[in-house]
Amino acid sequence: MGALTVTYLTAGFLMEELFLTKQVRNPNEPLWLSTLRVAMPLNLSYIPIGLACGILLHAAGFNTLLTALVSIFIFSGGAQFMIASMLTINAPLLSIVLMLFFLELRYALLGSSLSRYLQGQPHRFIFAFSLSMNDENYAVNYLKFATDKKWDGHQALMVEHYSLLFWTVSNVVGSLVGSALKINLSIVNFALTALFLYMIVMQIKSRLTVLICVLSGFLAAFFMILTKSTLGLVISTLIASFIGFALEHYITTHTPKSRWLWKVRGPGSRKDAVEETDSN
Amino acid sequence: MNSVNTWTTTQHFWLIVLGFFVAFVPRYFPLLIFTKRKIPAWFNEWMKFVPVSLFTALVVKDVFIDSNYQLAPMTHVPELLASLIVIIIAYRTRSMSMSVIIGLMAAFLIAMVV
Repeated sequence: MGALTVTYLTAGFLMEELFLTKQVRNPNEPLWLSTLRVAMPLNLSYIPIGLACGILLHAAGFNTLLTALVSIFIFSGGAQFMIASMLTINAPLLSIVLMLFFLELRYALLGSSLSRYLQGQPHRFIFAFSLSMNDENYAVNYLKFATDKKWDGHQALMVEHYSLLFWTVSNVVGSLVGSALKINLSIVNFALTALFLYMIVMQIKSRLTVLICVLSGFLAAFFMILTKSTLGLVISTLIASFIGFALEHYITTHTPKSRWLWKVRGPGSRKDAVEETDSN
Repeated sequence: MNSVNTWTTTQHFWLIVLGFFVAFVPRYFPLLIFTKRKIPAWFNEWMKFVPVSLFTALVVKDVFIDSNYQLAPMTHVPELLASLIVIIIAYRTRSMSMSVIIGLMAAFLIAMVV
């Protein structure tokens, strides 16, 4: 794990230096390469987590072929970790599927919030896009759609496929390595937590967003404890985002000069970082 | 760790098939419906708050909630401290890889000390 971490970190820093300093796409660069640069931080995060997930699935009795299948067709870190842990406690098939459904229900929200950027795409594209959409590549794509007017569905689908490739290969390698590698799971999983934290910071635009963020945190804890399942994630997200919408609507119509709409100084409020795409 | 589960490969296969359907339905239908018809403006205004709410909920799940769905911040002290570091790094650098890498390193180091 030590050597692996170092290699991974070094690679990450190199990628950062080589790939991510330029915000604007070089027109001479092929599309697949510039899109790969966008996807690379996510791809690299997927390596340790995918390895850990493959190891866990192996421990839960999944063979390598099935591990590849589950990585391609379910393609969700949370779901795969849940499958592995529920298999080790010998949970019945239907209860695992039901818990998966609660966990995956949040994808309905991802799809709904991305739909404004994918208007008019052909049916086949929507099918392929939803097939490999998950939290992490959604996060990358949502940020790109919101900040880069040239970002299109084709590139977004490429990001999904790059992340799918890295995820599946890491899972398969993890499954092959099996128990030979000891990984501190909760620490490795923090790579995803850090990714989400980064996304939150980049989404913060006004004081109102900070408020909604805090509210959502409390609601999430409350509903997850109440429902004893990840259904709480969906309920809290629906409520918190609706309150955000309602408050913003109320404030902009009643007191447009309210302090709650003041911009928060930081990355998200910079003009080059987030141009609100009202043109869509 | 030896295999502790007694399921056969066929049962695992069916789990994947069923898991695929429960994951695909919420991925596919909302996206299909909302890209094919005109979306009211208020819906988009509402959905604008979805990412920040969802990501916060996911972070809270990772940092404050344990596997039995109970509040357990004290079992996640390294993640808790590393989260603060990630927020600062993300705010300062705007770089996704820096946030993830430094955050992972911080969590790893703090976990060795705590």
